Amino acid sequence: MNWRRFLGTDTLLPYLLLLPTLAYLLVFFLVPLGNAISLSFWGEEGFTAQHFLGMFQDVKFGEAIKNTFFLALSIVPLQLITALLLAMLVNTRFRGSKFFLYLYALPLGISDLAAGLVWLAIFTQHGYLNSILMALGLIERPIYFISYQNVGLTFLTIVLAEHWRATAIVLVILVAGLQMISRDYLEAAEVLGAKRWQKLWYVILPLLKPSLQSALIIRTIFALQMFAVAIALGGEIVPVLAGESYYWYSSYRNPHIASAYAVLLMAISLGMTWVYLRFLRTRPEVTRL
Amino acid sequence: MRSVKLILAAVLAVGLLAAGQEITWMSTQFVPIEEAEWVRNTLLPPFTQQTGIEVNFLGSEYAAFVDRLMAEHEAGQGTIDVICGLHGDFSSVLPTLADVSHLLPTIPGTLPPAMVELAQMGGIQAYIPLMQATYLMVINKAALDYLPEGVDIWALTYDDLLAWARNIYEATGEKKLGIPAGPGSLLHRFIHGYLYPSFTGYQVLAFDSGAAVRMWEFMQELWGYVNEAAPTWDAMDTPLLTGEVLIAWDHTARLKGAIVERPDDFIAIPSPAGPMGRGFITVLAGLGIPKTSPNPEAAAELIRYLTSPEAQVAILEGVGFFPVVEEAAGAVPPGALQILAAGVSAQAGSPDAIVSFIPGGISDEYKKIYRDTFTKFVIRGEPVDTEFLRQQATRLRELYLEAGAPYPAPDG
Repeated sequence: MNWRRFLGTDTLLPYLLLLPTLAYLLVFFLVPLGNAISLSFWGEEGFTAQHFLGMFQDVKFGEAIKNTFFLALSIVPLQLITALLLAMLVNTRFRGSKFFLYLYALPLGISDLAAGLVWLAIFTQHGYLNSILMALGLIERPIYFISYQNVGLTFLTIVLAEHWRATAIVLVILVAGLQMISRDYLEAAEVLGAKRWQKLWYVILPLLKPSLQSALIIRTIFALQMFAVAIALGGEIVPVLAGESYYWYSSYRNPHIASAYAVLLMAISLGMTWVYLRFLRTRPEVTRL
Repeated sequence: MRSVKLILAAVLAVGLLAAGQEITWMSTQFVPIEEAEWVRNTLLPPFTQQTGIEVNFLGSEYAAFVDRLMAEHEAGQGTIDVICGLHGDFSSVLPTLADVSHLLPTIPGTLPPAMVELAQMGGIQAYIPLMQATYLMVINKAALDYLPEGVDIWALTYDDLLAWARNIYEATGEKKLGIPAGPGSLLHRFIHGYLYPSFTGYQVLAFDSGAAVRMWEFMQELWGYVNEAAPTWDAMDTPLLTGEVLIAWDHTARLKGAIVERPDDFIAIPSPAGPMGRGFITVLAGLGIPKTSPNPEAAAELIRYLTSPEAQVAILEGVGFFPVVEEAAGAVPPGALQILAAGVSAQAGSPDAIVSFIPGGISDEYKKIYRDTFTKFVIRGEPVDTEFLRQQATRLRELYLEAGAPYPAPDG
């Protein structure tokens, strides 16, 4: 059978192939998105800002927005640095580097709630860490790592857990990016007498920028939406926006305020994505060297 | 050879009978997966054996439960034969319910008249009481070493509790009192059903009273002896078992795990009393039949089975809900459940009891009002602000007004 004749024109084919994905996006993404937006703005008397006002007046709102931002701001840069170091290490292609890549990617396969619970088992009052510290005689009685009186420490446990769990996705993106950089550039830099850090700063990082951009966008959005790890470790101590949205929907059964939280979260995510696209823009002439 | 044929024929007949008699039981109770499995694999098989009626058990969240019953009612045609829910669940679906008063004389046990009366709503017997639950305290026997002199654990007051927890802290340097305050906890029940009635006599009407201010100030002091991880705990059984707490308050079902594991270490005791009395919640669940039930006779058969003393004790053993049928109370075997049952009956029978009900028919936002107030004054330790209390009280009354729902006991 002649495909081109069958489809009429060969320019139609790509669109036909895209159709299933588009249908999927429409049903599972765009429709719920539209619903959430309309739920957040429509009340019994039509258009209203009442649900957003309700959200702003929520006792948890201030804390949730503060925690969400601080968590994203502490987790993402830390992950980027760790992942960059690990990616460069793996990219030296030492013996067994593949094995390490898989090892580092392992936490990706674990659900976020399960990861939160694993770390809870470590940090809880009678958890692994306290047991080890006490067995070594370093402390006399357990340290309250998770405590409403020490929000900072609880916050740190969440950062650690999330760092362990989700750094691998950045690593995978950066390794792929590094492998696309042609050795020619590095060799040229060496011939011109570039030192190690100069190669990193003037050759690798600029060429890695598109990968960094994707990694940053993905990770920042996921960090803003982070929920299960914060709930498992922080409970009511460290409320986050996604969690409040969930509780307004499931526990307090107010889909309007739940949607207001979700729409706010979406606006923040869009804003952050715009910032990355704007400030990490790669000029075509740089990449097409 | 003939006997084999006969047996085969009998098996086939029973099979056909059972296939013809299948009923659907929708329930807002026994929803957690392990409880639903227990209902299907342990509670129901003897019933199917006795009667040949197959039961399709359907655990449902409250919202889906209401939506489905209302939809079937409006369609005038149903698939649900029998329902199980809390008292408040029944009041939300009242128009869909058939009167079940004709079943009362056929129940194979004695139901307390007060409970039967409570289940009468809108001029009909809306449901048959099935089981009850409550929230109380469980203590590790090790805590008795620190019990202040002259304090009777069976008639504990909130002041006694404070002195007790302080004694433990001063002796061990650890905060051993446990109140579940995690996101999935039942903290709101503690506030509206225990603290408020005990300190102010009401759960809604005195929300912003002077007595309430004194109550919140008391809680700020008591919180100083509550384990610092409390805001992450949804249930107290694990912290009791690990020894993170020695004294804990929670729902019986969320305490049961600890006593089952180590029955010799724990005692269940009544919740404390405040200046107004001993406020506590009685949760009552029951069984009803929708008007659109395709098979009300088989549904009635199931209700009779579930209210038999044997099934009542089985429910207590399986999921920790306590019997309502009087004959069942004496049939609880020794062990963990007897320990819990002793606490439950001591609490129910206390002379200074103030019984509270769980609000029904109003937006669940009321939970947030109690919990947010707790978060602000107790967890964050902000000074008790009467203006904030007044705002929350106004919002709380609005919720009842919007829904046209009555204030629950002890207010109503």
